[in-house]
Amino acid sequence: MNLKNELRGYAKPVAESVLAILIGVLVGALVLWFSGYSPLEAYYWLIVGSLASTDGIAETLAKSAPLILTAITFAIGARTGLFNVGAEGTVYFGAMAAIIVTQYLQNPIAGLLAGLLIGALWALPAAVLKVYRGVHEVISTIMFNWIAFFLVSWLAVSVYYNPKDPNSTLPIPPSARLPLLIKGTSLSWAFIVAILSAIIVFIVMWHTKLGYELRTSGQNPRAAEYGGINPKRSAIWSFVIGGMTAGLAGAGLVMGTPPSYAITQGLANVHGYGFDGIGVSLVGRNHPLGIIFAGILFGALSAGATAMQQHAHVPLEMIKVIEGIIIIAVAVPGLLDLFARPFRRGEA
Amino acid sequence: MEEQTPVLEMRDIVKVYPDGTKALKGVTIKVYEGEILGLLGENGAGKTTLMKILFGMLKPTRGKIFLRGKEVRFKSPADAIANGIGMVHQHFTLVEVFNALENIILGMEGHGLLSKIDVENARKKLQKLMDELNFQVPLDVPVENLPVGVQQRIEILKMLYRDVDILILDEPTAVLTPIEVRELFAVLRKLKEQGKTIIFISHKLNEVMEITDRVTVIRKGEVVGTVKTSEATPQLLARMMVGRDVVLRIEKPPKEPGEVIFRVEDLWVKGDRGEDAVRGLTFEVRAGEIFGIAGVEGNGQSELIEAIAGLRKVEKGKVYLKGVDITGKRPRELYDMGMAHIPEDRTHMGLILEMSVMENSILGMHWRKEFSKGFLLDWNKVEEHAKRLIEEFEVSAPGTKAPVKSLSGGNQQKLIVAREVSKRPDFIIAAQPTRGVDVASTEYIRNYLVKLRNENKAVLLVSADLDEVLQLSDRMAIMYEGQFMGIVKPDEVTEEQIGLMMGGVKGEPQK
Ligand SMILES: Nc1ncnc2c1ncn2[C@@H]1O[C@H](COP(=O)(O)OP(=O)(O)OP(=O)(O)O)[C@@H](O)[C@H]1O
Ligand SMILES: [Mg+2]
Repeated sequence: MNLKNELRGYAKPVAESVLAILIGVLVGALVLWFSGYSPLEAYYWLIVGSLASTDGIAETLAKSAPLILTAITFAIGARTGLFNVGAEGTVYFGAMAAIIVTQYLQNPIAGLLAGLLIGALWALPAAVLKVYRGVHEVISTIMFNWIAFFLVSWLAVSVYYNPKDPNSTLPIPPSARLPLLIKGTSLSWAFIVAILSAIIVFIVMWHTKLGYELRTSGQNPRAAEYGGINPKRSAIWSFVIGGMTAGLAGAGLVMGTPPSYAITQGLANVHGYGFDGIGVSLVGRNHPLGIIFAGILFGALSAGATAMQQHAHVPLEMIKVIEGIIIIAVAVPGLLDLFARPFRRGEA
Repeated sequence: MEEQTPVLEMRDIVKVYPDGTKALKGVTIKVYEGEILGLLGENGAGKTTLMKILFGMLKPTRGKIFLRGKEVRFKSPADAIANGIGMVHQHFTLVEVFNALENIILGMEGHGLLSKIDVENARKKLQKLMDELNFQVPLDVPVENLPVGVQQRIEILKMLYRDVDILILDEPTAVLTPIEVRELFAVLRKLKEQGKTIIFISHKLNEVMEITDRVTVIRKGEVVGTVKTSEATPQLLARMMVGRDVVLRIEKPPKEPGEVIFRVEDLWVKGDRGEDAVRGLTFEVRAGEIFGIAGVEGNGQSELIEAIAGLRKVEKGKVYLKGVDITGKRPRELYDMGMAHIPEDRTHMGLILEMSVMENSILGMHWRKEFSKGFLLDWNKVEEHAKRLIEEFEVSAPGTKAPVKSLSGGNQQKLIVAREVSKRPDFIIAAQPTRGVDVASTEYIRNYLVKLRNENKAVLLVSADLDEVLQLSDRMAIMYEGQFMGIVKPDEVTEEQIGLMMGGVKGEPQK
């Protein structure tokens, strides 16, 4: 009875997400069809490209790693009652920190720790502004994303540029790179790091006092305060842990993605993961374990997109449309809930 | 009367919640035109569930509803309202930043993009309604700035404005002062004269005896019986509800209070709008003593409690617990020093509705060693703890993992009380401890507070229920506009004297 109850608790969100994915696939098919492509052919290549071969699967998992980590950033915020969209900028910093530190300490652990630490540090200003000045985190984190963009761009172009290749930064030295899990693919230990992080965050959020306090603060700040919890402390922890995973995402990206192992011009190869992570988090129901699956799904979509473009001649952007539809289908019930809340507060 | 067709009949209603809880097991009730039907039952008996089904908020698993002999099926509250059925909930649903007028016409703006809200007509119609019933509310003040009693009037007016002729009131009196209850009853009688039909839910037997024509008693999802109020007694009703005789009394042996546990000196606290809500209070609570604070709600009691519980800033003055200055300390430190706090606002402060019974059972004590295993929380221990609370206070809950919002109102309250006393406090603040709790559990909670007192703990009781304060307190204060009008012993004052003090007349200072 108890186990059954618990599973029931998960059944609804899982079912809703699966439904949203189906809607995304169906509406996506319609959009493809109306745009003059064959949906069957497009989806065929999408699946072949992402799941039908070792290479495809490897690419899917590799692409999912940073998404899982940035999704967790958003999820921890959401669970604490914060709308933290700062993962984007933190990824840049994580990547840059890994590059800098591994120039001196040629060891993968050092690189990952650098990403983790800079992520935590870079989260602090927004946290402090929120807690002591009441600055809304959406505003501050978006601003900090831009600051991060220009700061890291400057570092990339002016300080840590690669003298042999003007289009990228210094690469991660070979001995500090994350080992590949499958030779000849881009699937590296970065994926393992992402999965482990998700599991650790799950344990922290649901099996420690800190997690209890964060979730309580997110659900009902007044009850939290009454319960001896300091909501300010919760907010700071939420930013810091979220910053860590986003920093790891950046470090993992440059340390575990062949062939460049560097940040490319215009931060092109570390760009966008923070924002995509928001969608992944929503589809994964802001739950670390759900996020693993959602991350792999989105990884598959972007891995398969290339094959879809090559063989079915469907533009890459079409994948973004499908992703968008899935996210909207997941988010709409949630948004309705959010807006309906003040009208049916405290039902018996 | 029994021969005529009922205006409303709910037949064989069964409700099984998605989590498997069988809340109603085949309930049939009949309501006749122009009567006031009381609905009685223990916490979790299924009263709210039954009424939510009638109001179109919940779908029955089985069963039929007949309105004036015709079968109906409501898909939504709007549907029920269109059919003349209105409901005022146990917990209010007003939009706090809107004023009364806006709240009342909310959702009635008419259909179509082009229809305009005719605010002036609405105001006229409302004014007429209020005049007829002699039931006034300020229409232009944001609801959040109005006392609960007035908010409830707005809820009632909201329904009457929609021309309902069957009105459901789910525990309307739980939050009202005795005077407000009297005013409400006057309105209900007038509505009845106008031919309206009313379904009235309350845990207070004397109210049910006073206002209803017939009473239907529900126990554990089944109808026990229906009686004419004129042929009933409180004892009979209590026995029907609980299934055994209920002793409606408190055993309270005389006791010499011990040392001072808690003391407040010249305390000043501001309210939400910056006004002085508490103005220079000084009092003490001793070991083995229940100190009661009575008074019309909204006279600074809430601010006083929040200030001493570490949830609101103290402007001036000092608070001492066991001789230590605790002014400005955070709740966690206070709890660690032996304070516990049953808050008056259970849904917004005392509980996290979305979280499980288990998770709620440790709020405010979750840092204690007994619940952790290294740096992890030991959920097994937490579950044991939750089970103990449920058992000891007979909280009826679908399970320890069920979200607290799936508990009935009274059971939520019992869970809070159970949790707070499980902290083994030396000093406990009990604010409205039995609000919304059924007769049997009310007696249990009151006896428990007395037991704490007998065990030499200090109890600060704040309640809008004057009988409760009179019955339990060793000493009591009457609060009015942030000050005490007097501190008296309950057996040394008359109700009249207390009434005067509640109205702002200072009583004789007494030792
Ligand atoms: N959403 C829900 N999910 C599961 N069970 C529920 C839900 N709402 C209520 N219940 C259960 O249904 C039963 C009846 O609850 P209901 O709220 O109708 O009681 P009530 O008679 O109104 O009690 P009270 O006097 O305490 O308000 C209780 O056992 C309660 O735990
Ligand atoms: Mg109820």
